[in-house]
Amino acid sequence: MASSGEAVPRTYGGPAGWISVAIPAALFAYFLQFVPVIAAGTPVVVGFDWVASLDIRLSVLIDGLSLTFALLISGIGTLVTLYSTKYLGEHPEYPRFVLYLMMFMIGMLGLVLADNLIALFVFWEITTISSYLLIGFTSDEAKSRRSALQALLVTGTGGLALLAGMILLGNVAGSFELSVILAQGDMIREHPLYLPILILFLAGAFTKSAQFPFHFWLPNAMAAPTPVSAYLHSATMVKAGVYLMARVNPALGETDVWFWTLIIAGGFTTVFASILAIRQTDIKQVLAYTTLMALGALTLFIGVGTADAIKAMMIFLVVHSLYKAALFLMIGIVDHETGTREAEVLRGLGRKMPLTFLGGAIAAISMAGIPPLFGFIGKEFLYKAGLELDTAMIWVTGTIFAASVLMFAAAGISVLRPFTGPLADTPRPAHEGPWAMWICPLILGVFSLGFGLFPDTAEAWLIAPGTWAVYGDYGYEVDIYLFREVNAAFVLSLVTFAAGAVVYAFHRPLRDWLGRVFEANPIKFDPGWDRVLDGLKALAGWQTRLLQSGVLQKYIFVIFLTFAVGVGATIYLKDALQISVDLRAEYDALSFKVWAVLIFITAGALLTAYTQSRMAAVAALGVVGIGVALIFIMFSAPDVAITQLLVETLVVVLVAVAMLKLPHLGLTKDRGRRPLHAALALTVGTLTTLVLFAVLQSDLDRRLTDYFEIASWPEAFGRNIVNVILVDFRALDTFGEIAVVVIAALAAYALLRGTQYGPPRDEIEGEERR
Amino acid sequence: MTAADLAIILPEIVLALFAMGAMLAAVYTSKDAMAAALTYGTATVFLIMAFYIAVTGDGTRVGFGGMFIDDAFARFAKVAILLSAAAVLVIGVEAMEKSDLLRFEYPVLITLSVIGMMMMVSAGDLIALYMGLELQSLALYVIASLRRDSVRSTEAGLKYFILGALSSGLLLYGASLVYGYTGTTLFSGIIETAAGGEMALGLLFGLVFVMAGLAFKVSAAPFHMWTPDVYEGAPTPITALLATAPKVAAMALFARVVHDAFGGAVGDWQQIVAVLAVASMFLGAIAAIGQTDIKRLMAYSSISHMGFALIGLAAGTAQGVEAMLIYMAIYVTMNIGTFAFIMTMEKDRRHVTEISALSSFASREPAKALAILVLMFSLAGVPPLVGFFGKYAVLLAAVDAGMVWLAIAGVIASVIGAYYYLRIVYLMYFGDDREGLDGQMGTAAYIGLVGCAALMLLGVINLFGLEAPAAAAAEVLLR
Amino acid sequence: MELLLSIMVGALVAASVYLMLARNVLRFLFGLILISNAANLTIFVAGRLTPEAPPLIPYGQDAPVGVVANALPQALVLTAIVIGFGLFAFALTLVYRTYQNLGTLNSDEMRLAEPEESKK
Repeated sequence: MASSGEAVPRTYGGPAGWISVAIPAALFAYFLQFVPVIAAGTPVVVGFDWVASLDIRLSVLIDGLSLTFALLISGIGTLVTLYSTKYLGEHPEYPRFVLYLMMFMIGMLGLVLADNLIALFVFWEITTISSYLLIGFTSDEAKSRRSALQALLVTGTGGLALLAGMILLGNVAGSFELSVILAQGDMIREHPLYLPILILFLAGAFTKSAQFPFHFWLPNAMAAPTPVSAYLHSATMVKAGVYLMARVNPALGETDVWFWTLIIAGGFTTVFASILAIRQTDIKQVLAYTTLMALGALTLFIGVGTADAIKAMMIFLVVHSLYKAALFLMIGIVDHETGTREAEVLRGLGRKMPLTFLGGAIAAISMAGIPPLFGFIGKEFLYKAGLELDTAMIWVTGTIFAASVLMFAAAGISVLRPFTGPLADTPRPAHEGPWAMWICPLILGVFSLGFGLFPDTAEAWLIAPGTWAVYGDYGYEVDIYLFREVNAAFVLSLVTFAAGAVVYAFHRPLRDWLGRVFEANPIKFDPGWDRVLDGLKALAGWQTRLLQSGVLQKYIFVIFLTFAVGVGATIYLKDALQISVDLRAEYDALSFKVWAVLIFITAGALLTAYTQSRMAAVAALGVVGIGVALIFIMFSAPDVAITQLLVETLVVVLVAVAMLKLPHLGLTKDRGRRPLHAALALTVGTLTTLVLFAVLQSDLDRRLTDYFEIASWPEAFGRNIVNVILVDFRALDTFGEIAVVVIAALAAYALLRGTQYGPPRDEIEGEERR
Repeated sequence: MTAADLAIILPEIVLALFAMGAMLAAVYTSKDAMAAALTYGTATVFLIMAFYIAVTGDGTRVGFGGMFIDDAFARFAKVAILLSAAAVLVIGVEAMEKSDLLRFEYPVLITLSVIGMMMMVSAGDLIALYMGLELQSLALYVIASLRRDSVRSTEAGLKYFILGALSSGLLLYGASLVYGYTGTTLFSGIIETAAGGEMALGLLFGLVFVMAGLAFKVSAAPFHMWTPDVYEGAPTPITALLATAPKVAAMALFARVVHDAFGGAVGDWQQIVAVLAVASMFLGAIAAIGQTDIKRLMAYSSISHMGFALIGLAAGTAQGVEAMLIYMAIYVTMNIGTFAFIMTMEKDRRHVTEISALSSFASREPAKALAILVLMFSLAGVPPLVGFFGKYAVLLAAVDAGMVWLAIAGVIASVIGAYYYLRIVYLMYFGDDREGLDGQMGTAAYIGLVGCAALMLLGVINLFGLEAPAAAAAEVLLR
Repeated sequence: MELLLSIMVGALVAASVYLMLARNVLRFLFGLILISNAANLTIFVAGRLTPEAPPLIPYGQDAPVGVVANALPQALVLTAIVIGFGLFAFALTLVYRTYQNLGTLNSDEMRLAEPEESKK
């Protein structure tokens, strides 16, 4: 790579290019070392603490499942990065692309290798973010941007649901380590929180792996550059959901809910996506929908959960990654060299692009499930596992049959048709792509063919350890083979080929017919998505208008209303209205002067509230203040009374002075609302009284007062206990008091300083904003 | 009052003397000319005090007959308050200068409000609490309306004051009810009365009123209404202050009151805090979606974040308090970074706060845009950034305390909340408008932005060892 | 006795809530004064009432003779009154400034923050 880089530096993206290839290649080589260890049936667990108090550990669990994924991620990663040096090498921001791609790869590897649930989640979200950046990489297209956001929001939401599920699961199992959790399957399945955990986990997995009804984001996300689609949307990221379900199968699987949810969602996705695939004319979209179909099938078989089904799932996982990545890369080359991906336009490319055709053809044969490729084995074992079932046999087998037929047709549409027949005109004259591009599908093809011819190797390396890990039983004998006998599955395969050929032959009229059917169908998911977002915005607007009107009066109203409702509800609920009032004693205790003062104050308060005259209001306030001071005097608080009088006088004087500069109170224009306000005010007042009653029902704990009374002379040499308390025992209050008064003075100064500057500068601006 | 008492409040006294000295010096010299120097000086004093408190503090000391408590919890909060206030001061100098607001009373008022905050977190008595709160609030009311020549600032100041005064009133009323029932305002006395099983009704009401007052200070729904208006109206550096230090103080105070004074009756207040938390999270998250002004957006974001911090409190356990403290520390850091950027948003030499101005910002300023991306993702709580660990800590605390529904609500709220942070990122990277911000960013603000973003990335290693002090602080509160 | 005072406190609160809900900020201010009086009375009443026995220690004694009024709430009320005054003084300045800047004291007209006709 390096030598080619020197010759045409920009084309290979400079050092970013070969570094980006070297990293996954090195990782791939590294993971290969683990193959013999894992094949022997011993999972590897290593780890250290990350954030100890939160139980987050960086621990690694390598078993058959995670190793298979790690090899796929690093292996396909190597090819995709190599491919990208040509595909995007000339893009001005190619290094940025490489950075995102590496970030994604690390996230993905971390996801499959993590033993700690929370670490897994962290990596899960890294893949979400980096895929967002990758999908939106060609950000000039509005479609690309929209898809990026959509993918992010859908998978991000699912991710958070997953987090909630993980927290619950960790709580139930008493550990966040997968290796510990997976060993307690029975206990978890019995737990009352099993169902919520399951729902949350599946929400995460279904959104990530685009299962119905969250399937709509995946085809949209195919707006990404083709290498990204090949890597993220077929081989790796979308399989993270599948990985998760397979991973937790020993802990959460094998229940009825699990079984039915997965086979219904998976089956539905499979059939639905297969039909949609036929409908597309853009070959990349065809591939996108067949990916969706494959994800559905994987989900379906995890749901079935028998040992044979898990084995079939593992085989199909590898099969699909190999051929689907190859097909995406192939269509990328076609797009890159001819300028179009339209199935209706492309014909006869085979002579111009023989090597691309070869790579694509191997992949397509594998996808169609024709022997001796690995795809054939995959399909056979899917059928076999389906036919063995006691329950839902027809549903599972039928689904796989329909999918296989349509995949057969899709293989024809995406490879056979574009590459054979007479050469058609394309926007750019067709020619073979650079070696760094065409070699990638070919390498993947070698594996598809190799695993098909030597199934024992695939079995020993990947399938058997993977099956053990997912099924949770290391004693199960895994056996895969290309062909042994003519059985029901084999016959079904032959029928599949025949039916597939028929569908392919008639795929164009079928497509038109499907197009009309879907036009008529009112249920569309994509506009539905838009409506959800619009609805959210509308809700936000409504809530803001309701609660954040900008009108102070309403804010205050809400606060008092909360007060009234809260206190009222508590009094009602706690049944606190049992107040015993000795009215007789109350009445007797009243002397004339107390009566007078009480009436005085109440009248003053009401007058203040009622009057339209500023002066009357100020006078009434003064009356209230003096009345309160009188109460202090009558009930043995002379010091307080004096202070109260002083302060009250100052207040009245200040208000009176300020009045000279302030406007009149004016008539209350909002008379309509005033009765409501009065009602609320009365309620709050009544509640206040009731609460005070409640407090006064109990006896006061006078210990502290007693202490002050006894201690004030011996300890502080003060005869006025109030003063002693203020100066000695509660000196902090006094400090604070002084500080508050100082601040108030400073504040007043700061505010008034400069008011002579004239009208506010931004008044004009303010007008404009209105 | 003894010498020992004075030793305990030494940092507060030093700050008070500094404020007085600064005021005198400013009045007798050329006044506003030395405002910038004074601001830097204030920040330095804050830093020294933070260092002093962090290094010398040890164990638990109680002064003024129990009214003032100096323990690991108070120290944690004080250090956070001082550091964030210092950061905001330094970062804001340039923006304040530009809008001609750098007067000498600005650092002095901030110092006074910081003293109030420090008293709040150390309060061991309801009246001391009330006073600290008033000290803090009064200074903040003024700072919020510092732009004498702006109608918006004036309006913001008035609204802030009126609603603030109302909440102080509620708090005082609550304090008097508590007193009426227990005969003491000391937390240590209240907890004795409240410890025995079910709380008496009068005491419960007292607690509810005190909590309503506190909820206002942390801007938890439904006492949040002042927040968006004030955030938008106040000068941006001041908004930055409002969003950081006072929130830490109020939250710490909240924790102190419910645990130190009412720790015996966790069941009685747990549900109330949980309701506040849920209301705040959802209200903040939903309302933020429709915003077009980034300061308003940050206001709703802070409401939502306070909801999350309250989850930690609602757990009612040491783990919950620890999670809350970690959450607050992270929240403050994220906000300083974000506001460092918002302060410097300029277009055609005018300060703008419209979100739309960020359109395609990434193509012009890739480094800054990346820093904001990190901060936004962190605010949204997307792993692996530090913001996620904060959210995770509170959610875990809630689940461990058996409040699973609260944790689930938290997760749902963060889904909704993620949307508007991502919208900013989306706009920056994929926006259509090719004309946007054109202002220059000062060094301090730049360091603030990039530094905080870097912290959000580097912090994933071990959260800067934040856990140990937070755990110690939580420990002492629930002894 | 305490109970009747509680009723009066309720009346004070009702009046001040009504005032605070008014549009005119000046009315709010009046409400604030009333409610701080109500709060002070609440503390005072919550400490129970004792007529004509101020908490003083006679000369020659180490402790008060007989039952005297509860001193603690008195100290608290004193603090509260002073703080309340600080608050009020500031509030008045603020209202004054607001009127200077906005030319109105009607809180309905103070809605730059959320304009009625939103053009979003």
